[in-house]
Amino acid sequence: MALTLMCGCVELLANISRLRPDPRRISSFKQTGILFPSFERHRSSHSISGPSSLVPLTSLSSPPWPEVKSISSEEEQRQHTAVVQKVNSLITNEEYGRLFAVIHFASRQWKVTNEDLILIENHVAAGCGDRIRMEKVLMVGGENFTLIGRPIIGKELVRVEATVIEKTESSPKVYMQFWKRHRFQRKKIIASPQTILRINSIEMVPQLT
Amino acid sequence: MVFLTLSCLVRSRGPDRHWKVQELLKHARHFRGRKNRCYSLAVRAVRRAFVYATKGRILKKRNMRTLWISRIAAATREHNMKYPALIHNLGKTSVQVNRRILSELAITEPRTFLSLAKLAQARREEGFRAALGDGQEPAGVFSRVMVTH
Repeated sequence: MALTLMCGCVELLANISRLRPDPRRISSFKQTGILFPSFERHRSSHSISGPSSLVPLTSLSSPPWPEVKSISSEEEQRQHTAVVQKVNSLITNEEYGRLFAVIHFASRQWKVTNEDLILIENHVAAGCGDRIRMEKVLMVGGENFTLIGRPIIGKELVRVEATVIEKTESSPKVYMQFWKRHRFQRKKIIASPQTILRINSIEMVPQLT
Repeated sequence: MVFLTLSCLVRSRGPDRHWKVQELLKHARHFRGRKNRCYSLAVRAVRRAFVYATKGRILKKRNMRTLWISRIAAATREHNMKYPALIHNLGKTSVQVNRRILSELAITEPRTFLSLAKLAQARREEGFRAALGDGQEPAGVFSRVMVTH
């Protein structure tokens, strides 16, 4: 990283000819040494090495970010097709091991895999035993690849299915407020509805483009 | 053996204060000292505990978020990036995975997390390139560096 930064600085300096130190100024320094030998001796004894170039360190002469390289659009297209082909072949041959998916459900995100149980702290409209499909899939990953949705992956690519197993209530929780010396207290017993889902399957279709 | 406690508790009403006291002491039985058997001490301790529990449920959400953030920050630095750069650029690329899932990915799926970091890095460099333009100084602008040298 540091090496590239240095190279970038050197290149930048070479590019901007106006930023090069003025040769006349260097000659005037040499003349100073001849006219005032004591000054020259003082400089050499204390070994004050001046900056290699007289360009001050500003954001122009040495930008604080690393040198960024860009690749051409054809090269980018070529890499893209290669990756897509590779991943499609992996999906076709089912060489992905156990898949995981990140799904958005009940205003939360869940990282799930096959046969997972997830507990949702709310009602679900489907009844017990119903099989539902999770349509907001943010990410699917296998052994050697991950599909990242921006923000979600298309419905034709991934199919995540789940079954509603149980609908219950949580254990009662006490909600209590108390304000000392103000004769204020509130007490409420809350039990929120809960639903348990079983993730049945995560399936993929090799239709990446 | 016949257990009558429950049926008596259900039937109880009226002046006998015993059942009311038992109802409250039930929550105080694991407390330390006389609080777990003396009503007048227990009633304050139980109220205090309920208030703590209520506030704790709210604080837990906040604390968990800071925990996720510190975990993501640690994992991001393994890939030579910083947390704000990662989160900002993931947002720019409209990857809407939240911090909880990101921290889980960093722990259980390190290769996925690496690809996310690379994605953010690529977006970052794209932003730099767009901001820098073609590397030339704009025409008609004289900077301090140009004037003095």
